[in-house]
Amino acid sequence: MTAEYHVPDTALEVREIHKSFGGVQALKGVSFSILKGEVVGLLGDNGAGKSTLVRCISGVHPQDDGEILINGQEVEIKSPQDARDQGIETVFQDLAVIPNFDVSKNLFLNREILSSNPILRFFGWLDHKEMSRQSEIALKRLNSRIPSFREEIKNLSGGQRQAVSIARAVNWGADIVIMDEPTAALGVEQAAQVNNLIKLISSQGISVLLISHNIQHVMEVCHRAVVLRHGRAAANVLIEDITPDDLVGLITGAKRAA
Amino acid sequence: MTFLSETRSQVFHKILNREYFVYYALILVIAFFAVVLSETAFLSTPNFMNIIRQTTPITVMAVGMTFALAVGHIDLSVGSVVALSALVCGLLVDIVPWPVAVLAGLSSGLLVGLINGVLTEWLKVSSLLITLGSMGVISGIARVITNLESIPITNDSFTYIFGSGSFGSVSVMFIWTLLALILGWVFLSKTRFGSHLLAVGGNPTASRALGINVVKVKITAMVIAGGAAAMAGMLYAGRLHGARYSLGEADLLTVIAAVAIGGTSLFGGRASVAGAVVGSWLMGVINNGLILWGFSTNEQIIARGLILIVAVAIGVKEDRR
Amino acid sequence: MLGVKKLKTLSRISLLAAGIAVGISVAQAGPLERIDLSKSPEGPNGNAAQPAGNITLNSDEAAAVKSKNYKAALVWHASGDWVNAVTEGAKTKFEELGIEVVATTDAQFDSARQASDVENVLALNPDIILTLVVDPVSGGAAFKPAVDKGTELVLLSNPIAGYKPNSEYTGIVTDDMYGMGVAAAEMMSDAVGGTGKIGFIYHDASYFITNNRDNAFRTAIQENHADIEISSEKGFTEEGQTFELASAMVLQNPDLKGIYVAWDVAAEGVIEALRAQGRRNVKVITHDLGQNNALDMIKQGNMYGTVADRPYEIGQAMAMLGVYGLLDKESPAFSVVGYDKVTKDNVAVTWEKSLRRPIPKKLSEALQ
Repeated sequence: MTAEYHVPDTALEVREIHKSFGGVQALKGVSFSILKGEVVGLLGDNGAGKSTLVRCISGVHPQDDGEILINGQEVEIKSPQDARDQGIETVFQDLAVIPNFDVSKNLFLNREILSSNPILRFFGWLDHKEMSRQSEIALKRLNSRIPSFREEIKNLSGGQRQAVSIARAVNWGADIVIMDEPTAALGVEQAAQVNNLIKLISSQGISVLLISHNIQHVMEVCHRAVVLRHGRAAANVLIEDITPDDLVGLITGAKRAA
Repeated sequence: MTFLSETRSQVFHKILNREYFVYYALILVIAFFAVVLSETAFLSTPNFMNIIRQTTPITVMAVGMTFALAVGHIDLSVGSVVALSALVCGLLVDIVPWPVAVLAGLSSGLLVGLINGVLTEWLKVSSLLITLGSMGVISGIARVITNLESIPITNDSFTYIFGSGSFGSVSVMFIWTLLALILGWVFLSKTRFGSHLLAVGGNPTASRALGINVVKVKITAMVIAGGAAAMAGMLYAGRLHGARYSLGEADLLTVIAAVAIGGTSLFGGRASVAGAVVGSWLMGVINNGLILWGFSTNEQIIARGLILIVAVAIGVKEDRR
Repeated sequence: MLGVKKLKTLSRISLLAAGIAVGISVAQAGPLERIDLSKSPEGPNGNAAQPAGNITLNSDEAAAVKSKNYKAALVWHASGDWVNAVTEGAKTKFEELGIEVVATTDAQFDSARQASDVENVLALNPDIILTLVVDPVSGGAAFKPAVDKGTELVLLSNPIAGYKPNSEYTGIVTDDMYGMGVAAAEMMSDAVGGTGKIGFIYHDASYFITNNRDNAFRTAIQENHADIEISSEKGFTEEGQTFELASAMVLQNPDLKGIYVAWDVAAEGVIEALRAQGRRNVKVITHDLGQNNALDMIKQGNMYGTVADRPYEIGQAMAMLGVYGLLDKESPAFSVVGYDKVTKDNVAVTWEKSLRRPIPKKLSEALQ
């Protein structure tokens, strides 16, 4: 597979990513790109390398070889913080919320707004008011159905929790949001909510890399699908050009990319 | 999707929430004793000042323990730290200026907290086991350095500030209680670090994923617990004009009961400093009331155990939601 | 301000220095000292011991307090059979004198708890407090509120540093510790037939009563029983340690004929160790009465005999000393009650004499 050339509205591009754990080659040269505002489904069977690729991009396990480009510039992502600094946020299945915290506190966790008073600031005094204000704006922006930014997460449904995670990513000015199975633990209606949210943020110009097992969801929300097989990108297809059955065939290897 | 609105049952649930339980319990217990002990001086300002004065070391320890529990740890060594810090201070107070002796005493507690925290993270063993071990080691050290002797403290400034002093009818111990309450509350509820403590206790995986230095936060919580216990050691030494290896030995259960009934989860993520302070007062009032009523210490121990069970029962029920 | 590093070094050095200083001071009072048995034991201020029988109230004095509705509180260090017997003695005497006991507390050997107990009982405005002070050093601060209030303080055994008789407190009542130690030595001699090697398990902490009894026993063996040799000496700080100490002792010294151990509950571990090793021939002597060891004694196990004091009498004497204080009558500073040597033959009688309650059913059944 040849490396793609940069086009102006490419948000994220990965080139020839290699990653090994011990003697096992998890990624053997993966390349693809995501346009601005595009939702790309990352598909593949268990062990195909999806999680490894996500971890490389989000800085959890930096790649051994290959390049990551953001807006056409090559960047070094050695840690989760590096990824965040580059505008890449990751939304995990159900991991990244604090059940006893309210929505506002969750949105600002580890990015708290401190008091403007320099003395209080020195002691890490929080500006709860400002965080509440901004939370309200963030929730409005996402059209979310979360009743109040004061509600504790544990009182929210799974879909609402995921919405908080996504809101947090967006709120932090992410250009690229990686979502790892965001609907896996959710019921049908809740999952539909999250899918709508994904469409919404995409329409606001944010790129999404969606890891999912759910072909139906991928067909519904993604513009394009990248299929990994045995550590390589086996296919990179536009959703409008493919049927669900063909997509399954690509994942299982029954069908080869045209 | 159902929208969350406050139905009647939810309002009811909020009122019965464990966060408020300790306040109701305190009012109830005081009302109960006020009736039963109407012929004694139970319901009098001096008696309540008594209760606060004798409860202050427990209160301070409870505030510290709240921080350990907030991150999902527990510190069983607080009682032994009380003895160690009091003895360190007591041994030094005649040799160096008393503030230096106090600093040394407090440092001993902070150091124990640091060791507890580092060992727990480094060995990846439950803090329960680590502090169980350090409790033994420290109380052993406390015995060895004094040969089981009591250390008298005759420094008037020290005993005034940490024990017998008063402003009018307000004991200096009351000031220490207020200080512990305000400092603990501000730190836990108003600062970034407090927010991180609770986040780490509530969901360590998420906290790590969001870039919080979980190890540092957990260690700091243990240092705070150790430091608070050392402060309690100063207060005991100040009140008793002396230090002894057995100080604090019997306090662990009381402290945990006070914190748990005050609405702090024993499993991390939910903590209330004010609840811990009021919880310690509740323990103090029960202790005082039972004595005035003529009950023995053995019955008081039973009462304390029952309170702990009630507190834990409410807490666990709440956590399962 | 001192630098942190300097501070740490300083604190370490001074800790060591203070530790040594304390170590030296311990040598002056504590376990393993020789005692001059020709003298009677002395109170903390050098007052010679008087028999507690000297403490009496005549009918006029009794009548003077009877109508006054005085109140008393008992602020004990611990609880148990022995404390119950003291309490019983005090309560009976107080009842005779029309004084109400309004509170009884147990500090469980926790000096801070005892300080709280004092504050708590003061809310009941007692006129008399009977107490065994957990910590003689910090006791001064703990009992200051009571002294300030003019409460009559009567002490059991332990003095309070800085307090004087007929001033801050009326007087001290305690066991005849020397007499008990000497009696224990005599019983040991009986047990081993006047000759042989014995072990000595003593309370290795600075504690007035136990140190005096242990030291008196040790001195009496050396001075009065020349054919008996203490061939092994081991100290303990917690009762639970005596099992291991005794086990090691009889393994290292297979020729031991007897073991002295400081008090009854501590002796249980010794008996257990001897049983475990099948050493029925090693006889044990101790102080105080307890059901388990009394049963072993009746069944002619390892327990040969014990020296029982009279806690009930202590309680009565203390109650009367409290009244001495109320009447401003000069109190004997340091009084001691008697003791009894207890063996299988007289255990039924002495049990009731000492603890003032019927001998437990298990013991009376075993005696039949």
